Amino acid sequence: MISLGKDVDETQTARGGSSTGQFLPLVSLQNISLGYDSVPVVQGISLAIYPSSLIGLAGPNGSGKTTLFRAILGLLPILGGSLSRSCPLSNFGYVPQSAALDPHFPLSASEVVEMGAYGRVRSYQFLPLKEKERVREVLHQIGLPHLAERSFFSLSGGQKQRMLIARALMVNPKIMILDEPLSGVDEESRKSITDLLLKLTREKGLAVFFSSHDLEMVQRVADSIVRVDKGQIWLEERKARLQP
Amino acid sequence: MSTLLEIVNPSYLLFPALVGTMIMGLVCPLVGSYLVLRRTVFLGLTLPEIAATGVSFTFWLQQTGVLPQLGQSERGIGMVGSLVFTLLGMGVLGYLEQRGKGLAEGRLAAAYAFAGGLTILFMVFNPAGQIEVLNLLKGEVIALSQGELRLLAAVFGLVLLAMLVFRREFLLTSFDRDLAFLLKGRQVIWDVLLYLLAGLIIAFGVIMAGPLLIFGFLVLPALAARPLVSRMSSFLMLSSVLGLVMAFWGFYSSVRLDLPLGPTDVTLGCCLIFLAYGIRRLPMKAGVATMILICAVTSLSSCSTQVADTPVPDAKAKKNTSISLAKVKNSTGLPLLLPSTNPLRSLGEMAGKISSDYRQSVMDLLRDSLRQELEQKGYRVTLPEDTDTRFPPLAADANGAARVAREGKLSGLVFVSEIRRWEGESQRFVRVVADFKIVRIDDGVVIWERHVQRAISTPSAPYLGQAYMDAVKIVAHDLFA
Repeated sequence: MISLGKDVDETQTARGGSSTGQFLPLVSLQNISLGYDSVPVVQGISLAIYPSSLIGLAGPNGSGKTTLFRAILGLLPILGGSLSRSCPLSNFGYVPQSAALDPHFPLSASEVVEMGAYGRVRSYQFLPLKEKERVREVLHQIGLPHLAERSFFSLSGGQKQRMLIARALMVNPKIMILDEPLSGVDEESRKSITDLLLKLTREKGLAVFFSSHDLEMVQRVADSIVRVDKGQIWLEERKARLQP
Repeated sequence: MSTLLEIVNPSYLLFPALVGTMIMGLVCPLVGSYLVLRRTVFLGLTLPEIAATGVSFTFWLQQTGVLPQLGQSERGIGMVGSLVFTLLGMGVLGYLEQRGKGLAEGRLAAAYAFAGGLTILFMVFNPAGQIEVLNLLKGEVIALSQGELRLLAAVFGLVLLAMLVFRREFLLTSFDRDLAFLLKGRQVIWDVLLYLLAGLIIAFGVIMAGPLLIFGFLVLPALAARPLVSRMSSFLMLSSVLGLVMAFWGFYSSVRLDLPLGPTDVTLGCCLIFLAYGIRRLPMKAGVATMILICAVTSLSSCSTQVADTPVPDAKAKKNTSISLAKVKNSTGLPLLLPSTNPLRSLGEMAGKISSDYRQSVMDLLRDSLRQELEQKGYRVTLPEDTDTRFPPLAADANGAARVAREGKLSGLVFVSEIRRWEGESQRFVRVVADFKIVRIDDGVVIWERHVQRAISTPSAPYLGQAYMDAVKIVAHDLFA
């Protein structure tokens, strides 16, 4: 079993700090197999994700990174093994690849970010003021409040990615799952996104699980690196992290 | 000619039809916007065709005696068939989509072709005749009754309410299904609800307005709004506004130019799309100014004061009180014979033992009515064929009519009438285009003239022949009133 982030959780508890998970993993996978139409793509995955961990999932295109994420999010049924979550799915902040979204939709950036609050707002309600305030807050957090009224699909790749992170933050997540957040992104945006992920992990205690096919980049950013390739998954590296 | 102000007057004859069209123009684009954004526009074409199959199938069943005659209105029965087939069609298409085999476009195209073929076949099988069913499928909104308008308002109001209340769910499910699942659970309910709402407006709309108009209202305003906005809320609002514009100006143009409503509205909708893409190329301020200018010019030109029609002058005002009443010329290309009400004669006609010539035509009736009205005005009416039986009907061309009259050795004044269009919309309305003139035979000068172009309401007529008779009386009376 690959346990990710447990050491940080234990350290914080020993210091008298709050332990968000109280040693309980946010997500736990026991020997699961994943695939489509009963054909496995990845097998024998055992993984536990704890709060305050920044985990990079590296692997070539088509190795099963997105498949693993979709299974964790409940979007794809598992073929075998067991998967448990200690928080509801509405506490999962999911950042898809922006290219997967249909650019035909006329949406402003703020409308995309607002979607993160839809789970809390009843159908017949107008968006409450506190949610609008929260939208402004997360836009400040990602450093793009001035782009709120711009058309979402007219933004650059990096800006779109940050807006999707803002949308994921709107759900008040305990864990964030980001599918290739740094692909097709310029260097400046890449730096601001990685800084933001680090900040969310260190200051907010979120577990962040992101994928990339660029191993070098994952090594630069993540505390722990999980590799997936040829249907197998393994822990590549765990860095010692200085506690705040 | 109807002006804008006349049309918006609640006492206007076609006001219920205008309100009905505008209700459809307001609500359909809200549903259609999602069909456009989800790239399922073809569904908006296929479902109305399936609804049309339901209409023709129900009538076929009724005519063959499988379904009892329930004493309901024709539209009511058609509506049931339309609704059942639309829901069934959606169910089958949804099931096939869930199975995920084959191309979605391919399935819709096959369903469209299948439904279109069946509609025609059921019409051919129908012993009651294809024309009656075809008229129902055309769904002339002009014949909308008060009861149907109330039903339309209730159904479309319900759909509007649902679209407003569940706007976030529909957007989320359409835009990002994964996020919708995380936040709201299984999203299939929102898909079902959206398609159910689409099915409702299509099923009711097809029987009241026809498949073409419903498809036009569903997709054209949304396509026109898309290039002009970058926010979802603005997109939905603008789509509805453009739907209203399309409904109102389409209706106005249809009435004013005597054009069929469905094709007029759809043509206008397509013009709006071109206009939208043209305006998008302009800078923001210039675009807004252009739109305001177009609206202002169109409104002003449409609100022009209507010139009052002058009635036929009294005979006392004329020195010559003798007038020749020429036969009414029929330029419609149709015989315009009144249907026989005597079943024995009809059987005789069908057996070829009695000629249909004995039957009165609209032209005969109109001429009789004109004669009575002229005599009441103090004219001494003579019929040209009394002096020469070969005397032909005279066209509304004044010089030509005067020349023929002179050749026929007539003198004084001649009253000429020409029917250019005479069409019954079921038995509730008769669309009439006709010209009437009083011409001085000596020099061909027109003393009086009137162009009649209107839909004449005949609500109490139990059958088409009676509707024609009522319309004749109304036309003749209006000329002299």
